[in-house]
Amino acid sequence: MTRVATAWAIFQGLLIEALPFLLLGVTIAGLARWLVPQSAWVRRLPRNPLLAPIVGALLGFALPACECGNVPVARRLLASGAPLGTGFGFLFAAPVLNPIVLASTWAAFPDKTWLLWARPAGAFVIALALSSLLGLIPESRLLQAALLEERRLSQPLSSIGLLERRTGLVGAGPSKPAMPAQSTALLPRQLLSHSTGEFLSLLTLLVLGSALAAVVQTWLPRSWLLALGSAPTLSVLALMLLALVVSVCSSVDAFLALGFAAQVTPGALLAFLLLGPVVDLKLAGLFTVLLTPRAIAITALSASLMVLLIGQWVNLVQL
Amino acid sequence: MRSFRSRFLRHVRRSTVLPPLVLALWGWVLVWSSLSSRLDLLLNAAFHPVVAVAGVVLMLLGLMQLRLAGRRVPVAPLGWLISAVVALLILLLPPRPSFSDLAASRPDSLSAAPSLSFFLPPEQRTLTEWVRLLRSQPDPELHAGDPVRISGFVLDRPGEPLQLARLTVRCCLADATPAGLPVDWPAEANPQVDQWFSIEGTMVVQERNGVPVSVVKPTRMTLIPRPERPLEP
Repeated sequence: MTRVATAWAIFQGLLIEALPFLLLGVTIAGLARWLVPQSAWVRRLPRNPLLAPIVGALLGFALPACECGNVPVARRLLASGAPLGTGFGFLFAAPVLNPIVLASTWAAFPDKTWLLWARPAGAFVIALALSSLLGLIPESRLLQAALLEERRLSQPLSSIGLLERRTGLVGAGPSKPAMPAQSTALLPRQLLSHSTGEFLSLLTLLVLGSALAAVVQTWLPRSWLLALGSAPTLSVLALMLLALVVSVCSSVDAFLALGFAAQVTPGALLAFLLLGPVVDLKLAGLFTVLLTPRAIAITALSASLMVLLIGQWVNLVQL
Repeated sequence: MRSFRSRFLRHVRRSTVLPPLVLALWGWVLVWSSLSSRLDLLLNAAFHPVVAVAGVVLMLLGLMQLRLAGRRVPVAPLGWLISAVVALLILLLPPRPSFSDLAASRPDSLSAAPSLSFFLPPEQRTLTEWVRLLRSQPDPELHAGDPVRISGFVLDRPGEPLQLARLTVRCCLADATPAGLPVDWPAEANPQVDQWFSIEGTMVVQERNGVPVSVVKPTRMTLIPRPERPLEP
């Protein structure tokens, strides 16, 4: 019974701490939809497979929030018809490439200069690689059904058929992008109603993710994971598992890592700081509004593999 | 009965006021958590204003939407109702974590102090500051005879004598890290796990497992209620 009470408290802590950032993300996504007409900026985003994720990753500086907050913004980007690479580049890199996270990493590790560039560089590389990898999958198998439908409404008829779009105007010019009615003049009431729906749907998933994270970390002794701290490969794997389970925000994970930095290998430390912002238990539910279950599994496995390789490489260089 | 229940559920989910009410309810959860000092038990103080502001914003958005509501809306997903139930449970069931249970499975790996506090006189050091000091200057002879005035909860680590401990938190309870000090408990004392004590005494050197360590020898022990702000940064 004591354990249940402890899990309930951890659940409340995780959820209440993440809620403001989720609200911030949904607000930014809503405002972007209202203030900036889609056609004005989405068409200007580069479609180049390399440039698109780079632009997405750099957009993180405009949203200084943790990984919960950027899910709704990434969804809005993709629903507006932005290139897949831009949406995924933002989704995977922005939780690290933003001023607050970079500042907190510096504040926690002022004496580890290698970490100050290795963390953003690693996050950038992982975001580029994941974006490229997911770009190989057909959109119909990659994106969640509702998002796919919304995205197809935002794409020009020249690039997508009416059958695929399911709805739309027959007879629109092939070269002129047909924008959905909702994107042109959204009333404040519609915006509020839409953002409320988005917030409540994401909140439900956040509740599930936080509950899962609280249960796992209450019954999985953390000391077991850190006991593996000195073994080069096992320490990286153990800290990756810890990042998945703990599910703390990227804006403060560096301070948490500071607590066990002296007990683990440098590669394991970097692995913890790289994997958590991309994949963790709290995010598992939120990702379902973006990706199909298969795509989520591919993302989690690929990110883990890349982080493991980066961690191993750092251990080889540093040890 | 079953059809009545499903009809009732369908009616609730079709209601135009459901989304604004759920939104306002979650706003109230955050505002109430701030007002009732529940946050002191869950989060680092740096996040408290952020949570309070988010709560007020959510309540305002809920009220605004309630005023604008009127048109029919699509059926609300069942998840929204479930989240409303969770919000009510959070309001009804306050967190009562066992600090000892939370700390027992976590390594004693304190991060550096947020500010330099080692220059404080010994009797003004908190338990966490003592632990940090002993880690940076582990020679127990350096601290022998220093006066100690600390408070904390009784921590039971498997295979170790009971300690007096505090939890440090950077984000929320999920990253709580224990800081514990060995105590030479008086024979007549019967400390129970999770009880809070205020201890006055001195730092002495004792051999534990063949190694000399700094141990708190109490001259006065008082059983105290859990402090309003039990977590340390």
